[in-house]
Amino acid sequence: MASISGTAIGTSARPLLAARAQVVKGFSGLKSVSFSIQRKSFPSVRLQAASRRLQVSCVAKPETVQKVCDIVKKQLALSDDTPVTGESKFSTLGADSLDTVEIVMGLEEAFGISVEEESAQSITTVQDAADLIEKLVDAKSS
Amino acid sequence: MSWLLRRNMLPLHSNSLARRPFASPLPLPPASLPSPRETHIWYVVPDELKDASLLYQYMELLSPCERQSVLRMNGERLQKGALLARALVRTTLARYTDGRLSPKSFKFQKNRFGKPEVEWDKYDLWAPPPLQFNISHTSTMIACGVTLDLPIGIDIEEKQRKTSNNILSLAHRYFSPVEVAYLKTLADPECRQSEFIRLWTLKEAYVKALGRGFSGTPFKDFTIRLEASNSKQVTGELKSDAPSIVVEAVDDPGILMNRWQFALFELNNSHYTAVCMERDVKNPADGENNSLKLEVWRTLPFVEDECVTETDAVKNIIR
Repeated sequence: MASISGTAIGTSARPLLAARAQVVKGFSGLKSVSFSIQRKSFPSVRLQAASRRLQVSCVAKPETVQKVCDIVKKQLALSDDTPVTGESKFSTLGADSLDTVEIVMGLEEAFGISVEEESAQSITTVQDAADLIEKLVDAKSS
Repeated sequence: MSWLLRRNMLPLHSNSLARRPFASPLPLPPASLPSPRETHIWYVVPDELKDASLLYQYMELLSPCERQSVLRMNGERLQKGALLARALVRTTLARYTDGRLSPKSFKFQKNRFGKPEVEWDKYDLWAPPPLQFNISHTSTMIACGVTLDLPIGIDIEEKQRKTSNNILSLAHRYFSPVEVAYLKTLADPECRQSEFIRLWTLKEAYVKALGRGFSGTPFKDFTIRLEASNSKQVTGELKSDAPSIVVEAVDDPGILMNRWQFALFELNNSHYTAVCMERDVKNPADGENNSLKLEVWRTLPFVEDECVTETDAVKNIIR
């Protein structure tokens, strides 16, 4: 069942170049977690804004997203009122490479899954992590 | 940092910038180029920045894309850090151009693996120096390493950094068997903690020097360790007395990847710092000492530079 993740599509025309700039800032395989700017997109709609994307796939349950947010907040020692949502990117939350591997390990422990390195590389947002978790949890139980 | 955005739209208030004119920040003192075996490191301590108008000056150095990136960071502290990082890279590189290039004029691109590098313009009567750089930051320090034409990686971590996960769990997951075995020999938990962090910075620095990204150079595939003194390496060079840091592939133990040299030290009494630099084979060293040389400056761009190489700010160097 296809569904749209994230909030309503905004009309802010942030150029795609803005997304690329994310990479220039700091480099390490995990610090700027992913270099892939292309997002999965609807066939008929293309989003250019760097921080939002559409995804045609089964999206994670809100509880999963919330649990991921909690784990991320704890690892990065963010205050309770820091807004962390599915769209939050790890890099903009201040996660460095060590934080990212710790978050992955925390998620593995919390959900009883095992994340392969290649999959871990493709996670840039909280939503990515939640979707991957549900995929692995489903695969485990099927 | 919405206050900065608002300021961009308002006429300048001269009283808030009384100390120096906005249009021309103090010129950066020129710096001599790094020599073949040298890494120059410039670091900034964000907490030393007390003058808010400086942030405005730094913001002016950035490209529009970089500014957007800074403003996307979550919260003022992270925004300030991101801003300082870009300002540090730009001002540092500008120092080596003998006043010909301003910090604002630099352009950046990614190599084919995604590593940021300078995109040099072509000039008729001047060849810009082939500088290579790499940056690393924590919330309390940002460091930029520069070499002349040699790939470099740098990583810093706070000495006090604690991990949420157990050290050996992390090591089992991400480090090579030799490295795990080494950490297991350390009985004292604090010692194990600090050795883990130091090894982490070395591995990060190596991956960043290679420039192929974490997935191109998985941590598990290589070992970094100390090599005993007085051993002959593959090139047949005799080592000096001190043990040295070496890297080898897990699949090819005993064959040291001599192309890369390291330095590990403490910076500002607060951070473990690792530097990895490609060995310069074009300029073979005379004598025995071909280890990586360091020159280190603490800086607050446009305010203060201090060479700290021979001071307590740079301690416990292992190469």
